[in-house]
Order: sequence, then C-alpha cells, then structure tokens
Amino acid sequence: MTTQTTAIASVHPRGLTSGGVPRSRRSTPRRFFARLPIRILIAVLLIVEIYPMLWMFLGSFKTQSEFLNDPFWALPKTWSLDNYVEVFDSGFGHYIVNSIIVVFPSLALILLFGVAAGFALEVMVWKGRGTVLLLFLAGIMVPTQMILLPLFTIYFRTGLTGTYWPLILTYVATGLPLTVFMMATFFRSVPREIFEASTLDGASILRSFWAVGLPLVRNAIFTVGLVQFFFLWNDLLIALTFTNSDALRTIQVGLLNFTGQYGAVQYGPTFAAIAVNVLGTLLLYLFLNQQVMKGLTAGSVKG
Amino acid sequence: MTTAPKSRLRRLAPLVAVVGAGAMLLTACGPASGGGSADSGKFTYLGQTENTTIISTLEALGKDQCAAEEKAAPLTSDSVAGTQWDQKLQLLAGQDALSNMSMAAGTPSLMKQFIDAGQVVDLSAELEKLGVADKILPAADSTIKALYGEDSLYALPTELNIEGFWYNKQLLADNGLEAPATWDDLVAAADTLQGAGVQPFAAAGKDGWPVTRLVGDYIARDLGPDALKDVADGTAKLTDDEYVKAADAVAELGKAGYFGEAVGSVDYNAAMNEFLTGKAAFFYMGSWALANFNDETQNTIGVDNVGFAPFPAVDGGAGSIDQVPANVGIPVMLAKKGFGDSQAAWLKCIASNYGDAVLKESGVVSGFALDTPPTDLPETTQTVQQVIQDAPSSILWFEALFTSKGTSVSQTNGGGLANGTLSGADFMKLVQAANDEG
Amino acid sequence: MDRVLGDKRAIFVLLGPALLVYSLVMLVPILWSLGYTVFDGNPIVGFTFNGLGNFTKFFQDPAAWSAIWFTIRYALVLTILQVGTGFGLSLLYVFWLKKASSTIRTIVFFPVVLPTVAVALLFQRLFEAAPTTGPVNSLLNVFGIPSVDWFGTPDASFWIIILMDLWRSMGFYAVLLYAGLLDIPEEMLESARLDGAGGWKLVRTIVLPLSLPVLLSSLIFSINGTLKVFDTIIALTNGGPGNATTPLTLYMFQTSFTYGEYGYGSTIALMLTILCLLFTVFIFRSTRRDITKG
Repeated sequence: MTTQTTAIASVHPRGLTSGGVPRSRRSTPRRFFARLPIRILIAVLLIVEIYPMLWMFLGSFKTQSEFLNDPFWALPKTWSLDNYVEVFDSGFGHYIVNSIIVVFPSLALILLFGVAAGFALEVMVWKGRGTVLLLFLAGIMVPTQMILLPLFTIYFRTGLTGTYWPLILTYVATGLPLTVFMMATFFRSVPREIFEASTLDGASILRSFWAVGLPLVRNAIFTVGLVQFFFLWNDLLIALTFTNSDALRTIQVGLLNFTGQYGAVQYGPTFAAIAVNVLGTLLLYLFLNQQVMKGLTAGSVKG
Repeated sequence: MTTAPKSRLRRLAPLVAVVGAGAMLLTACGPASGGGSADSGKFTYLGQTENTTIISTLEALGKDQCAAEEKAAPLTSDSVAGTQWDQKLQLLAGQDALSNMSMAAGTPSLMKQFIDAGQVVDLSAELEKLGVADKILPAADSTIKALYGEDSLYALPTELNIEGFWYNKQLLADNGLEAPATWDDLVAAADTLQGAGVQPFAAAGKDGWPVTRLVGDYIARDLGPDALKDVADGTAKLTDDEYVKAADAVAELGKAGYFGEAVGSVDYNAAMNEFLTGKAAFFYMGSWALANFNDETQNTIGVDNVGFAPFPAVDGGAGSIDQVPANVGIPVMLAKKGFGDSQAAWLKCIASNYGDAVLKESGVVSGFALDTPPTDLPETTQTVQQVIQDAPSSILWFEALFTSKGTSVSQTNGGGLANGTLSGADFMKLVQAANDEG
Repeated sequence: MDRVLGDKRAIFVLLGPALLVYSLVMLVPILWSLGYTVFDGNPIVGFTFNGLGNFTKFFQDPAAWSAIWFTIRYALVLTILQVGTGFGLSLLYVFWLKKASSTIRTIVFFPVVLPTVAVALLFQRLFEAAPTTGPVNSLLNVFGIPSVDWFGTPDASFWIIILMDLWRSMGFYAVLLYAGLLDIPEEMLESARLDGAGGWKLVRTIVLPLSLPVLLSSLIFSINGTLKVFDTIIALTNGGPGNATTPLTLYMFQTSFTYGEYGYGSTIALMLTILCLLFTVFIFRSTRRDITKG
C-alpha cells in the first residue's frame, strides 16, 4: 500500500524542468541523418493519428451510398451540410445541453468531495482512516454493470427516475474512488509541516484546507478533472440505463439515434454528430490544456 | 496507512457482516407489489427510438379516429434506444412500472416471463370483451400465440412480415434461370451464377440471423412445420441427424463461397446494398425491407426488377412451399398495471383503426384486418399482401422458440456457417447446448 | 497539534459528503448485488434461494472460462502494449521533442476524446473485406495476398480490438507518464551523462528505475480498466465471432439482462472483482521487490 501511495504521488507534475544544456545549433548532414529515424517515427506517428480523424470528419459530408460503394479514401463528392442539418433536426442540440447539465455539476462534485476526502484521509489523523481508504479502493475494482439493477430500483423507489439526479449521483459515486485515491496520494507528497505551520498560526483546519491545501494540489485537480471529464463525457452504459426519456438523453445515447431498427447505420449523420461532439470537446481540451500548462509553470516556480 | 493490514481486516469484519445482512434483506424485498388498476387519466407509450412508425401512427389516430379517447386520456410517449431494449424492459418490469403500452421484449422468452408474472394484459379476453376480436388477422393471431407458446394473445401485431428469397430478375434471366422451387434448384442456380461470376447470395453474416433463418426454414420444409416445436418441447434435439442435415445444407452453401467474400463481416446495411446495387442475385429478407426496395436512392436495380420467391421446398420433405415464414416484427404489449377504462377504450380504437392507418400512412402491412384497402399500392407491397392472404398457415423462424441464450448463441455463430468455417454438426451442438443450459 | 489535525467535526465535514454519496450509490448496491449471488432468478419472476449453486455453475461453465481466458489475455496484452508504448512516447516527448512536444502530445492524446462508437466504425471500415475493400486489405492485395475476413476469425478480431484500444489510449498513458518523467531532476541525468551513460543505457539505469513508481500506478490503472473492458467490445465485435471475444463484463451483462439470470450475473461480477484484486496485488508484490532493490 505504501508503495503505491508514493507511486502516484510522483505523477504530481511539479513543473517543467528549468535546467537543460545549451545546445549548439549546428546542423551538419551527419546530424541530420542521425536524427532521421526519429523524424520518420514522428512522421508515421502523426499520419497514424491524424488521418483517421480527418477521415471521420470527411465522413460527415458523405452520403450513405458514398459510404457503401466508394473506397475508403474517397473524398466526399459534395460539401453539403445536409448531414449536419439532419443531426440538429433530430434534437442533437438538446442532447448537448443535457450532457453539459449532467457532466459539469458531476465533475465539480467529484473534485470537491474527492479532494476534501483525500485531505481528510491523508492529512488528518484519526483512527480508521486506513479502513475507509481501503473501502474507496474497492470501488476501483468493482465492475459498473454490477450496480445497475440495485441502483435502478433505488432511484425508482425514491422517485428520482425521470430527473437528472440518477445520472449525476451515479457519476459522482463512480468517479469518487479514483479521485479520492489519487488525491490522498497527492496530499501525501505535500510536507505535513506546511499544514502544521498554518494551524499553528491559528487558522482552523477547514480554513487551512481551503487556503493552503487546495492551492497546493491545483495541478493535480486539473489532471484528475481532465481524466474524469472524458470518462463522464464518453459514458454510454450509465446514461443508457438511467435515462428513459428523450428529454434526458445525453450525446452518447443520442449517437445511437442514427442506427435503424434492423441494425442499419446512417453513416453520414452519425459522423456529423460525432464531429459536432468532438469539436466541442476539442475546444474544451485546448482551454483546459492551457490551464494545466499554466499550472505546470506556476508549479515550477514553487518547486 | 500505518496500521497493519491484519488488524484492519479484523476491524472491518463486523462492518461487513452488518452491511451484508442488510444486503440480504434488501435483496429479499423483491419487486414492489403491484397496485390496483387505477386509471391514470393518461395513455403512456414506450417504444424503441429506432421505430418511428408505431408512434407516428398512434399520434395520427389520436388526431382523427381516436380523438375522443385522446381527449379522455391523452397519449404521452417516450422512447429509448433499441440496443438495450430488453434490459430496459426488465428493469421497468422489475419495478412493475411498464408503460400502458410498449413494444414487446425482443426475446420471446423474456416476454414469457412478463406473461407468467401477470404483468401484461390477456388481449384475447380483452378484445373479445370489447367486441373487436375479429380485427386481428388469423395468421397474425397464430404467429403471436406460437411465438410466446400461449393459448391467448398477449401482443398486438403492429407489423406482419413474410420472409423469403428476393431475387434480381435481370441477373436470373441473363443466366437462363427461373425462380427456384426446390432447394436443389436453388443450389444449382447458385452454382450457375457463381460460374458466371455473379455472387449468388447477399447475406449479413455479421448479424447472423439472416443465415440461421435459412436453417430454420429448411427444417420446416424437410421435417414439417412443427419440427422446431418438438425441439422446444424436448422430444427432439438439434443434434439429431435430420436436424443437422439442415445446418449442413446451409454450411455447404457457405463452403462453396456462395455468400461472397468475408461474409462474416458483412452487416445488414452492406448486405442490403449488395443486393440493391446488383452485386448479388438472391437476398433472403423479410418484407419490412420493402421500404428499402421502394427507395430509388438505395435501389439502383429498379423496383420492378425485384422478384419474390418463397423459401423452396425440400425434395421428399414433410413441409410445403406455401407455408410462409412470418413474423410480427416487434409487436406491442399492454401492461396490466394501470389498465383502466380509458386504456381499454384506446385498445378498442387501435384494434379497429390501426391496420388501415399504418398501411395508408407508412405502407406497412400489419396484422390487423382492413376496412378499406387502399388501391394504389406499389407492386411489391401487393405481392406481399397476396402471399399473406393465400398462405394456409405460417411458420416461425429458427430461434423463435429458443431460450435467450440459445438465440444469442445461434445468431452469433450464423456467420461461421455462411463463411464455411463452422460445420452444421458443430453449429447445432453449440446451439443445443445453449438451449439446454438456459 | 494532534488536536487540530484530529478535529472530529472537520473530518466529518470533509469526508462526510464523499462517504455518504459513495456508500449510498456504490457500496449499498454492491452489497445488494452480492446478496443476489446466492439466489436464482430475476426481479420479474422473483428470486429463489440457491445456496452456492451459482458458484458451482460458474466453475463448470465453459462459456465463463472462455470469457475469463479472453479477459486475461486481453488485459495482459493491452496493458503491456499501452503502458509500453505510452512510456516510449513519453521518452520521445521529454528527450527528443523537449518543449516543442506540446502539439504532438495533444494530437496523440486526442483519440481518447472520441466516442467509442466513432472509433469502432472507423476500425470496421479500415479492416473491411466486403463489400468494398478497406485500406488494410487493399494493402495486402498490392502484395498479392488475398483479403482477410478480419472480423470473421477469432484471432484476427482479438488483435484488431487490441490495436483499436492501443490507438485510442497510448496518448493518454504517454501524458500520464510524461508528467512523471518531468519529476526526474535534470542534475541527475546530467551527472549520468558525464559518467558516459548515453541513450539506451541512460534510460535503463536512471530513467526506468526513477519512473518505476509512475509506471506502477499506470499499470494498476490500466489493468483495472482493461479487465473491465465493455464499450469497445460492444461497439466493435459485440463479442463475436461466436463468443470468441466476449469478456466477463459482457457475459455478465448478457446473463443478467438478456438471459434474465440475475443471480448468476452477480456471481460473474464478483468473480471479475476478485480477478481485479488478484492482479492488483500481484503487480504490487512483483514491483515492490524491484523498488527495494533499486
């Protein structure tokens, strides 16, 4: 157990190393050929990553017959936006709103509860904290499929079915184990003297959590938040089980709308919907990435 | 973190015991006890997102013929994705919370559980009471009863499909062939086509069911229409020689490559497209595909070029070629809970008017009797209606009476038959084992 | 001091919400489901007590064994590949691309964002054999090799699933491990370089031992994720051909919700949980020795 605690702690991105050797900028042919394999490797890597994504994007302009009859690499014959129109006609805009309503509050709660619990479990001293941490750990190993039936019953009997709550509650609970665990290990890498000093100054422990603890693990919160965001945003199983009306449908469930009763897939609209979804997440990722990078550099000043 | 694991475990033990006991209690609770038949003043419908025909027909009825019922108990509808439909129904039924009307379970054995648990309305009795029992076509009535193995009707036939070989008239004529009447004719035709460089069959090996349907139909032609019922009753086994023969007959087609290359990866879309773009001569499919045949953007061979041949007879077989393989798509069921007077009124109105409405609006042939048959139907639709009218009886598909596990094993292994990697005997052994277990 | 850090009220405020939600939404349902393992039936037809029948059934069920075998094979192969590739990429970022790596890091990370349904459609088309020939088979045809029906054969399906998940997740692991590599003090690398260690030797003697803790957590994260694989399989092969690519999660799901045997389904889930536990403990044990040695 101790091993793992220190293990994850070192994921803590303390910052870009400021050192580094000043390198001569000479670019002799020999140097070029020495670096050739690595350049080829990077080129291959980029092709393997970018081409499939480009293909999906191009797919959003194709017609069903182009998908079925033309070769894989064919470009769309026209740049018609029909598929996009069909996507938004089918209420996809509403699904996006649903996803946002469900995912962001869940994410906020996961991080808030998770960080607080991690703090209580790692920084605070009390009997039984090891047991509670183990209890959270168990949650990482249990398959989600196992809790669906009991949860459905609980939500139904408490009258929560038909609201956003089943999704939010389930997301928070399934996201907590990993978050609590990672947060506890992040806090472990913070020297205890910092908290002891701040409480000696007369601050209450809750205050020192808020004013000292939280800022210290800011980077960790971003990292964990990013990981959890993609889990939640791409979840299909939980969303499918606990939404039983069109009004609550999330993006991932909405993608299934373009599959017919006998298994026929409408490729064009499916890829258009995916493109819309991905564009949104891309913007968000770029924004968060900026934040993470800012955090990293801020961290390096500290470290 | 500092405590030794052992002592921690010991402290955990009583906790586990207490919560465990609680869990057992919770588990034993079972489903919420069903309430009375309180009339909610609404008519709720739950369908699969993929099926828009039923709900749009219901809405149309609510505006027109069923306006009075709509006023008394407004129709409210919802839909969920079909991929996990059975899971959803099971969860809802577990809470005794089915909608007034909903599409039935995809697997008949799950539907049987609903019937056994008394959750769905006995429609034979109810329609009799309402005086509209004659509104259900006998063919549809017998298909649904056979499907659930019940003496009463528990679902409404919102669709009635027949199945058989659709063929490309042009490709057959080019090769001097006629629609095959016997299985041997079919094999000979496939051989000729293959020799001429034409792929004989289009089939969705990935989905499996279009292939296993052939096995079931062969059994019905060879051993008679009740042969699969014997298997369900346990008086015969799929691994018996006469049953294996059917699977072998289909596996032979696969081994000869008549289904084309890589049939195991071909899905429904792709198979349909192969046939409609003239890349394959025969296509075993249900009449629901008429919508695709009548769509000119998909059908490049022309709708007049599509012919229908019933599943061929097997020489010396006990079955006959005019027993048509039929199914009711996914029918709709009515929940007993919340079934009051206004829901009964809706049922009566639906039974009386659905058939005409759905044929007029969506071109779908249902299992309801028609009052005023429309005259301007496409030729293929007329053919289908004619076949239904002329059929003395119908037969069910291969997996209809299997357990859900048997169904799933059969369909996932159908692709193996079609690409020749699985022998008939091995296939039947797998399916029989799955049936025995579940 | 201990009085402040042991403040009961503060502990309650901090830990309370998380523990409450977690207990109600995870622990109670888990225990509830565990209760089902000794029952037969489902919520519709009711439950009947079955003792240890479900467990005996599990150990005699060939489909369960084939699901276990597939799950383990998949988890091991994918974990090694995705952590390995991720580590390779992170080395590339840190030692060759340096600060210019940001763009490439983002691009390689990006597939993780894509919905599973989308990636599955993509891979189905990439390896398509009929009716149109996909790029992979076209390439084979160029070399005179006939098209392969990738999704029709168990082995080929297995490797496509692996390939698809690797494509999706390697960037994610690269970023995770990259953060760990940044923690290695530059001075340490510098002094090793002065000692004449370069290239592969530097990686083996300095970088690898120092990033072992991060690798370990990646391994645990990966093995617990891969043992519970579900979405990928549903979207790409749905367990086929036959049941050749059916993992325990899918088998459990089918058993519970398609076959209506909820008790047996819970038993399978319990077995999977135990499997996750065994692997996690095993990884701990085997790496702890290395760490103390290094």
